[in-house]
Amino acid sequence: MDDPHPVRLSRAQLLAALAGALAVAMFVLFAAVIPAEFGRDPTGLGKLTGLDRLWAPREVPLKASGEAPFAHEYPTGFRTDVVEIPLKAVSGSPADFQIEYKVRLKKGATLIYQWEAVGAPHPDDLYVDFHGHTLAARGEEMTVATYRQANAPALRGALTAPFDGIHGWFFQNGALKPIVVRLKLAGFYELIPAGQPGNEGGVVANVPAGEARPGF
Amino acid sequence: MRLTCRLGPGGSVSVVLGLALALLAGPTLAHGVADKDAAFIQAHPGPQIAAFIYLGAKHMVTGYDHLLFLAGVIFFLRRLRDVALYATLFSLGHSLTLLTGVLARIQVDPFLVDAVIGLSVVWKALDNLGAFPALFGVQPDNRLVVAGFGLAHGFGLATKLQDLRLSADGLVENILAFNLGVELGQVLSLSLLVLLIAAWRATRAFRPAAVAANVLLMTAGLLLTGTQLAGYAFQGPA
Repeated sequence: MDDPHPVRLSRAQLLAALAGALAVAMFVLFAAVIPAEFGRDPTGLGKLTGLDRLWAPREVPLKASGEAPFAHEYPTGFRTDVVEIPLKAVSGSPADFQIEYKVRLKKGATLIYQWEAVGAPHPDDLYVDFHGHTLAARGEEMTVATYRQANAPALRGALTAPFDGIHGWFFQNGALKPIVVRLKLAGFYELIPAGQPGNEGGVVANVPAGEARPGF
Repeated sequence: MRLTCRLGPGGSVSVVLGLALALLAGPTLAHGVADKDAAFIQAHPGPQIAAFIYLGAKHMVTGYDHLLFLAGVIFFLRRLRDVALYATLFSLGHSLTLLTGVLARIQVDPFLVDAVIGLSVVWKALDNLGAFPALFGVQPDNRLVVAGFGLAHGFGLATKLQDLRLSADGLVENILAFNLGVELGQVLSLSLLVLLIAAWRATRAFRPAAVAANVLLMTAGLLLTGTQLAGYAFQGPA
């Protein structure tokens, strides 16, 4: 057998190599891996490098099914809203032609909805993903439930929330002209203030489409 | 690499981060057998010899932790006979724990197994640099060490195979096929590694670069270990 150790470093060289390797590994671990993969940032290095933004909660899909009683009673107040969401033609920045609009629902609370795409030339111009998820703190898992994904000009129905969280729609305009999504809501929900998760687009409810997205 | 370079203050360490990202196709990804493979196994109970050979080979060829360890093991081996000796010892070790692990339904936390696998890379890199006589005054018998780490790698394989929720129907055939696939994948990746290192050794740059290469190997092993321990701390045990 050949000499399996043709390279022999001195004690000092070895300790330096080990210390260097350990320092680099720990730096990458705390500056990159832990912030980006596990959503923790004990040293603040993840924020400094911006890599903490790579983290996203692990999504746990929920299969919504099961027997529920037909009658419900709720401690929260009943409300109705009309939300008009303007969307530009499909070009330019995605923020112009697609949006997420959700409401807060407690587990078991019912939401009745009806929406239609106003001004869309074709019935399949609007893509919708009706879904809900929990609001995961950093490092936690996020429960996700998908209720409906479709291209449709209008849909109406009712949702009984399978968990506490935010539930609503992702709308994407595929038409070459601007449209308005007119959404009517009724039930036991809360609207989400502009800028918070579920209403990042800053949609204002109960005003005409022209005023519903200030600065749009 | 492109991703990390764009991130402003982190740009200066982009080489190191690139290494980290290359090592981390995502710790969860590196962990399990891919979802579509699991779905196939669920849908097709009974002996699936070809499928399991393929999955075993795929796991070995795409498992950078196994590959780093093998690269460390053969780094200074020049004769094919020695390569064959260590490969056989490694195979004996991991086959033993792979078979008994699955048949006896031994579940070891995958994060901890992968942390030990990371340490095996560190150990081998240190050994290549002659660390054990210099630091501790003893040279461990590498044949025993490689076989021993083979046992740890086998537990890793066993845990991943059990993620597929194997049916009892055709279990033994399927494990043997998976094991055969692992050996084929090992021969495949070892051949490539031996050729690459042999070609590298023929150049004048090999000698000075050998130290750097093993220090890098050690760094990668430490990072793997740290990542798996972080995974254990933050995501496991389930």
